[in-house]
Amino acid sequence: MSVYKHNYRAYTGKLTPGWTRILVLARYGYAEAWSSKITIGIFILSLLPCIGFLFGIYLANNPMARLLLGNHNQRVLAINAGFFLNLMDAQFGPALVLAAWIAPRLITFDLADDALPILLSHPISRFGYVFGKWVALFASLSLVTWIPALVLFAYQGYSSPQPWAAANVPIAFGLVAGAVIWIAFLSLLGLALSSWVKWRVVATGAIFAAILVPAGVGAIVTAVLRTKWGWLLNVPFMMSVLSQRLLGIPDLAGSQPSLPTAGMTAMLTLGCLLCVAMLFARIRAREVVRG
Amino acid sequence: MGVIDLEGLEVRLGNRTVLNGLTGALQGRVIGLLGPNGAGKSTLINTLLGFHRPSRGTARVFGLDTHRDRAQIRAGIGYMPENDSFIGNMSGVRFVRYMAELAGLPAEQALERAHEALFYVGLGEVRYRKVNTYSLGMKQLVKLAQALAHGPRLLILDEPTNGLDPIARQRMIQLIKDIREEGSVRLLISSHLLRDIDETCDEVLILKSGRIAALCNIEEERRANRSFMELETVGATEQFSVRIRGLGCECACFPGGRIKLVIPGHVEARDLYVIASEQGVQIRRMNQRRDSLEDIFLRAMDHEWARPEHVSL
Repeated sequence: MSVYKHNYRAYTGKLTPGWTRILVLARYGYAEAWSSKITIGIFILSLLPCIGFLFGIYLANNPMARLLLGNHNQRVLAINAGFFLNLMDAQFGPALVLAAWIAPRLITFDLADDALPILLSHPISRFGYVFGKWVALFASLSLVTWIPALVLFAYQGYSSPQPWAAANVPIAFGLVAGAVIWIAFLSLLGLALSSWVKWRVVATGAIFAAILVPAGVGAIVTAVLRTKWGWLLNVPFMMSVLSQRLLGIPDLAGSQPSLPTAGMTAMLTLGCLLCVAMLFARIRAREVVRG
Repeated sequence: MGVIDLEGLEVRLGNRTVLNGLTGALQGRVIGLLGPNGAGKSTLINTLLGFHRPSRGTARVFGLDTHRDRAQIRAGIGYMPENDSFIGNMSGVRFVRYMAELAGLPAEQALERAHEALFYVGLGEVRYRKVNTYSLGMKQLVKLAQALAHGPRLLILDEPTNGLDPIARQRMIQLIKDIREEGSVRLLISSHLLRDIDETCDEVLILKSGRIAALCNIEEERRANRSFMELETVGATEQFSVRIRGLGCECACFPGGRIKLVIPGHVEARDLYVIASEQGVQIRRMNQRRDSLEDIFLRAMDHEWARPEHVSL
């Protein structure tokens, strides 16, 4: 083929390695996600809490600013694991909003136009397809969770008069681990629910519902049965507790129910497995009518 | 090694046996896949693409097992599905580039080939429009472009002229002929339209109820088939038929001056008029026809028989 000759010619150039096709899916998915102005808007709003925390770090490390604010107590604006736990709690919500907006864009366009037969007729497996989309969503959510958290961590390390960063490396690990668990779960959930709904708005609503409805049910169970296990249905709460433990903050007696880490891990794993099963039931080149 | 080799291929979907013991070697440059609805055409294509796993037997494409080596097979296949299958909110060029990159082309080459493929199929001027704004014919063409862009060894076209107006259909047929003439691509075309298959294919596989009803080389059939003629005459029919036999025609006379002939290649209609003139016979009606793909198809539909080898119809 050539534009000027208008005839067909075979391709004789080199081919990319098989594993890079996943990156192709991820790249196009990422571009699709960020082609929307609403995505940009949500992203900017998601960074507003980070700017607040950035200001907090500035105040904490600037004696003149503290003096001007009339704050002489070093413990009032302490930059420690608790500070970063608040940051993570603040970013979990925007990450959910961003996931609920982006995930349907990655999957429902393909489903609505029945693009799966064409996509999967290329040398890419169903796993590769899902993984590529998952990478696109994970990368997008990283921009509002662990990446800004690490930037703030680095800024605190830079601003602090003492060698703060080296002494608090476990906080950085906790930040990344907590955020990665949350956005990995959100990405799987978002893709799984989007794969079952062809309409984007409905898929977005379904993602919110999948997080908020079980949390409400869990609260009812907790109140009616007077048990702490209802909290296992509240994913944001579980993530907050997990993050607290990952950051090395001890549980405060009486302030919140003490859930076992293994129980929370098991619930999140169960949720992930359910999402994987939903995805692989739906992501097929052909609907097979059995009978 | 054929393009497609089937050895006792059986595909079951649930309790249904959709393909039942298909055996044969498809070797043509352009292979037609014919059969009524539910015959198993789409299931065979899906099996060749590795979407369905054979429950028994094997299917091979260029010697590669369709299940075990499906990634390799897909790398060398361009697939144009029957139904609407595209990403509507992408521009034509972006969609084709995306598919080419998935097939393994580096990004720059994929972009270049996407432009070329779209110009080649006649969508060059609308390549920056979103695919969901295309007409039905354009959507067919963009599917063909994405199937071609990465330079496949085997192009599978499922109902390529579906929903096209006569002009668009003729253009699609011409494109298929051009690709065939280029020679580097083998084609498998599934269609309900015998005319499409007749115009483009040199081998045909006819399926009926999941079995092979006929597998034949159309070119050989065309060379072997004979030309039939029906005449209505007035006058000395007997003497006329004797003279015609002298030309080498097989001839049968019927009451009312009707004559049926099987004409050898060297005899033309003009020869018959010359003899009729000499004999004082009037030819009132002349109807000539060839043994067509339609005859082959209808015979295959009439007789359900499995033919593992090439057959002479």
